[in-house]
Amino acid sequence: MKFERNFLFGFLALAALVPFVVRDQYLLHIAIIVLFYAVLATSLNLVVGYVGEFSLGHTAFLGTGAYAAAILSTQHGWPMWATVPVAGALAAAMGVVIGAITLRLQGPFFVIVTLSFAEVLRLVADNWIGLTNGPMGIAGIPQPAMLAEAGNLGAKQFYYAVAWGVLAIALYLSYRFVHSNAGRAAVAIRENRFVAQSIGVRPLTYSMLALVLGAFLSGMAGGFYAHYISFVGPEMFRFAFMISMIIMVLIGGKGTLVGPLIGALLVTLLEEYLRETKELRLSIFGLAVIAIVLFLPQGLMGFAQRRRERRMPTAASTKLATPATGRAA
Amino acid sequence: MELLLQYLANGLVTGSFYALSALGLTLILGLMRVVNFAHGELYMLGGVMGWWATTRLGLDFFTGLLLVAVAMGAFGWLIDRFLIERIRDQGEEAGILLTIGLSIFLANTALLAVGTAPLKVEAPISAGPAFLGPIVLTKLRLFAVAVCALLIVGAWLTIHKTRLGRSMRATFQDPMAARLVGIRTANVYAATFAMGTVIASMAGMLLGSIYSAQVSVGGLVSMKAFVVVILGGMGSFAGAIAGGLLLGVAEALWGGYVATGWVDIIGFALVILTLVFRPYGLFSKRAERA
Repeated sequence: MKFERNFLFGFLALAALVPFVVRDQYLLHIAIIVLFYAVLATSLNLVVGYVGEFSLGHTAFLGTGAYAAAILSTQHGWPMWATVPVAGALAAAMGVVIGAITLRLQGPFFVIVTLSFAEVLRLVADNWIGLTNGPMGIAGIPQPAMLAEAGNLGAKQFYYAVAWGVLAIALYLSYRFVHSNAGRAAVAIRENRFVAQSIGVRPLTYSMLALVLGAFLSGMAGGFYAHYISFVGPEMFRFAFMISMIIMVLIGGKGTLVGPLIGALLVTLLEEYLRETKELRLSIFGLAVIAIVLFLPQGLMGFAQRRRERRMPTAASTKLATPATGRAA
Repeated sequence: MELLLQYLANGLVTGSFYALSALGLTLILGLMRVVNFAHGELYMLGGVMGWWATTRLGLDFFTGLLLVAVAMGAFGWLIDRFLIERIRDQGEEAGILLTIGLSIFLANTALLAVGTAPLKVEAPISAGPAFLGPIVLTKLRLFAVAVCALLIVGAWLTIHKTRLGRSMRATFQDPMAARLVGIRTANVYAATFAMGTVIASMAGMLLGSIYSAQVSVGGLVSMKAFVVVILGGMGSFAGAIAGGLLLGVAEALWGGYVATGWVDIIGFALVILTLVFRPYGLFSKRAERA
C-alpha cells in the first residue's frame, strides 16, 4: 500500500516535470497520449481488476464522453472547462443505465452484453445523423480561446497540463475507492461472490459503484480527447480502442493501481516504436498479446510480486493469509 | 404480400447462412466455454483458402472444400494443443484475451498475404435465378442452403452417433469422470476445437462463393455468430439453427420495411433483450447440451 501510494505520487511528479524538459512537439504529443491512455486503463481496471468482470464495452463510456463534449461545444458553445466534467457526468449516467442491465450477468454473458452495448452506441453514432453527423463525425471542435496566441508548442503544453489534471483526478478517485470499504467490498465480490453475499455485501451495489466511477473517468478522458484531436467520429466506439485498453491493463497487471500506468506507458511507446514496421506492426501486436496471456498471466506487477515473494519466504506466508489485499500492497 | 414472401425467403436463406457460421462457435463457446473472438478469422481463412484452392490451384469446388476442411482442422487442432490447452483452467478472461490476440494476428497476417481486395471463390453452379412461385432466388443460394443443411446434419450425427461424439459429450459433462473411464480428454478438447474450426472455415468458403471472401470480414462474422449463439442458447444445435433463422428473418423484415441503415442494430438489441430476460437463450431448457 505504501509502495503503491509512493509510486503514484512519483509517477505524477515525474509526469509534471515532462513539459519543462521536453520541448519537442512530437514527444509531447506522445506524452499526452500516454496520459490519456493511463486514465482509460485506470478506469477500465476498476471494473476488470476490482469487480472481476471482463468488460468489453468500455468504449461506450469513452465515446459518450467524446460525443457529449463535441456536441456541447460545437452546437451550444460551451467552454472546455465545462464540457469535460459534463462529459464525465453524462458517461456516468450512461454507466448507471448500462450497469443496471449488464451487471446482473456474469462470465461470458457479461462480456458479450457489454460488447453489444458498445456496438449499439456505435451504430447509433453512425446512423443518427441529426445529432452526431453520422459517419462524417463532428469536426472543428473549438479550442480554448487563449490558445490562439500561445502557438503550437504552447497548445501542446496546455493540453498536457489538462491531461495531467484528469489523470491526477482519476488516480485520486481510484485510490480513494480502492482503499475504502466499498473498494474492499468489491474485491470481496471478485474473490468469491457467494461468500461476499453471505456476509452482507450486495454485489450489484458495489460493482455498480466501480462501474459508474470507471464510466465517469473514461467519459472525462473522452471529453478531453475530443478537444485535443478536435474531431470525433463513430470510431470512438471501435473495438481497437478497447483492445489497447485491455492490453494495457493486463500487461501492467489488473487489480493494481500501478499496473495500468505501466501498461499505458509501455504499450503507447511500443506502438509508436513499431510504427516503423508499419504492416507487420499489428501482427506483432497480436503475437505479443498471445505471449502475455501464456507467460505473464498476472501482468508485470504480478510477476514482480512473485519475484519478491520468492526472495522473502516469510513475507510470502503473511501475504497468503490475506490474498485479497496482498495484491494491492 | 408478395413482397413479404420475398423478404421471408431472403431472411430464411441469410438465416441459414448465419446458422452455419455460428455452429462452430456454439461448439467452442457452448461446450468448451472458450469465448472465441477468433471465430470470424477462422471463417475468413476458410474463404481465403477456398479462393486460393479454386483459382490458384485450379481445383473444383468440392475438392477445394475438402482441402480447406483438412487443413483448417489440423490448424484448429494445433491451436488448441499449443495455445488453448495452456489456459484451460484459468477462466474466461485468459481465453478471451488469447483469442483476441489470435484474431489480430490472423487478420493482419492474412492482410499482408492477400491484401484487402474481395476474393471470389469459384462457385460449383451458375448464379442464374430460380423461380419458386412468386419468389425469386438464385440457384447458387438454394444450393448453399442445401450444403448448409448437409453440414449441420453431419455435425449433429458426429456428436450424437459416433464414438468421438460420445466421448465429447462425456468430457463436457464431467471432465474428471471422463478421464477416469479412460477418455483422453486433451484429445477430445482438441477435436472439438478442430471441429468448430472446420465448420467455420467451410462456412467461409461456401459463403465466399456467394458474396466474396474478404480479409476484413472477421469482426462482423464473430459478432453475428455471438448474437446467434446467445439467441439460441449455448451449445444447442437446434438453438443455433433457430437463432440464425430468427436473426435472418428479423433483419430482412426490418431492412425491407423500416430502414436499411439500422439493420445491424437488431442483432444487438435482440442479444441485450435475450440476456436480460432469458439468459440461457430463447429455446434452451438450461440443462440442454448438444
